[in-house]
Amino acid sequence: MMAFYFSRLVEIFPFFLKGLWMTSKVAFISLVTCTLLGFILGIFRSGKNKIVKRVIGFYVAFVRGTPFVVQVFIIFFILPEWGMQLKAFPAALLAMGIMGSAFICEIVAGGISSISKGQWEAAAASGLNLVQQLRWVILPQAMKVILPPLVGQYVLLIKDTSVVSVIGVMELTRVGWVTVVRIPEGLMVFSLVGALYFVISYPLILLSNYLEQKMAV
Amino acid sequence: MENIIEFKNVNKWFGKLHVLKDINLQIPKGEILVICGPSGSGKSTLIRCINRLEDIQKGEIIVNKIPVHDKSASLTRLRADIGFVFQQFHLYPHMTVLQNIMLAPVQVKKMDKAKAETIAMEKLDRVGLAEKSGAYPAQLSGGQQQRVAIARGLAMSPEIMLFDEPTSALDPEMIGEVLDVMVNLVSEGMTMCVVTHEMGFAKKVAHRVLFMDEGKIIETGTPSDFFDHPKTDRAASFISMILTH
Ligand SMILES: Nc1ncnc2c1ncn2[C@@H]1O[C@H](COP(=O)(O)OP(=O)(O)O)[C@@H](O)[C@H]1O
Ligand SMILES: [Mg+2]
Repeated sequence: MMAFYFSRLVEIFPFFLKGLWMTSKVAFISLVTCTLLGFILGIFRSGKNKIVKRVIGFYVAFVRGTPFVVQVFIIFFILPEWGMQLKAFPAALLAMGIMGSAFICEIVAGGISSISKGQWEAAAASGLNLVQQLRWVILPQAMKVILPPLVGQYVLLIKDTSVVSVIGVMELTRVGWVTVVRIPEGLMVFSLVGALYFVISYPLILLSNYLEQKMAV
Repeated sequence: MENIIEFKNVNKWFGKLHVLKDINLQIPKGEILVICGPSGSGKSTLIRCINRLEDIQKGEIIVNKIPVHDKSASLTRLRADIGFVFQQFHLYPHMTVLQNIMLAPVQVKKMDKAKAETIAMEKLDRVGLAEKSGAYPAQLSGGQQQRVAIARGLAMSPEIMLFDEPTSALDPEMIGEVLDVMVNLVSEGMTMCVVTHEMGFAKKVAHRVLFMDEGKIIETGTPSDFFDHPKTDRAASFISMILTH
């Protein structure tokens, strides 16, 4: 029986590759968005405007304080209420973007705050405006602190894409669900799903470890 | 002579702490002014107001005809003409010495790289460190770092140079090399405000010494008048304190 299921699994392997492709697509698009948004938010979070800081602080707290699966449902179900029809794929990206940018915001703000006030002052005193201070003096130094946890966060975000299967996005985890109905070898099916996630995240884990060691010196 | 820096009834608070109290001060173009006084008297705050690293709450500051107290004043234009040297150097650790010096001319003045490099090398030569252009700050001694910081301050060819205790963070054997560089700058005709307790430097180059205590300017005078015949008790006890140090 096992052998039979295994050959069925091999047969429908392209289906898994499609799931992997969808997972990669969700992961890639949301990592890029989260990074851009996370940096912008993180920069404002470490800025001087108290109101902006509070608002971002609350946003981050909300994201951290609620389960991601609940956030996905809120976005998927609340937007139609407000007259916006959102399909599963864009809803998934939106949810990932909101969640991921909050975590990256904290990492970026932490990195920026690790740079001494003197660096800002030296750059300001020489006539650089705020954007130039950040671009040339603060961020290049902060990146050393930001990079290792950022790559670590990427791994978490990739794994979190599995959550969007609940609203029907046909990514890896959903492919697993659908398959297991037809091939009732749960262990076999989900081992394959797990292995495919690992193929994407393992290089990033290695990169994160490498960066941590390199930045430590 | 025309005043390049002018303080009119300047007051500054940090929260409830009143750190500058009714400061009135005129600094003529080309003056070498030394500011001294006990720790916490407001010396750093005073010179940091000149390029608006600190905001003031009352009064007026005019620098190079720019109303610095005015919230809409162009900080870029103001700061492009003022070099600032910090006690702790604050060189950019991720850049080489040359990149440290070239950053502002290239980014602020939009100077082309080749020209900025020529000027940077010139300034580096001025502080005697031309051979260190490719080094990173961490590879330099404290005295060398401060000399690079001075070259960085000079890179924009400023009219005004501000120094906030430039030798206080240095090991004693490195103080001389930094002071020598500063003495050399005097002949360039820049206006210099130097917060320092180096009496030798003051006597050698300063036109005027300003003594501060508790946020006020207590007395001013020529270096020899001030150090040899202080008018106030507070100044006298301060001078005897730095002499025994
Ligand atoms: N950023 C700041 N916030 C609050 N208080 C400050 C700040 N900077 C300086 N002070 C206070 O202002 C006073 C004057 O400081 P400062 O100008 O640094 O004195 P000095 O340079 O003469 O030692 C001190 O009491 C100091 O503690
Ligand atoms: Mg000081």
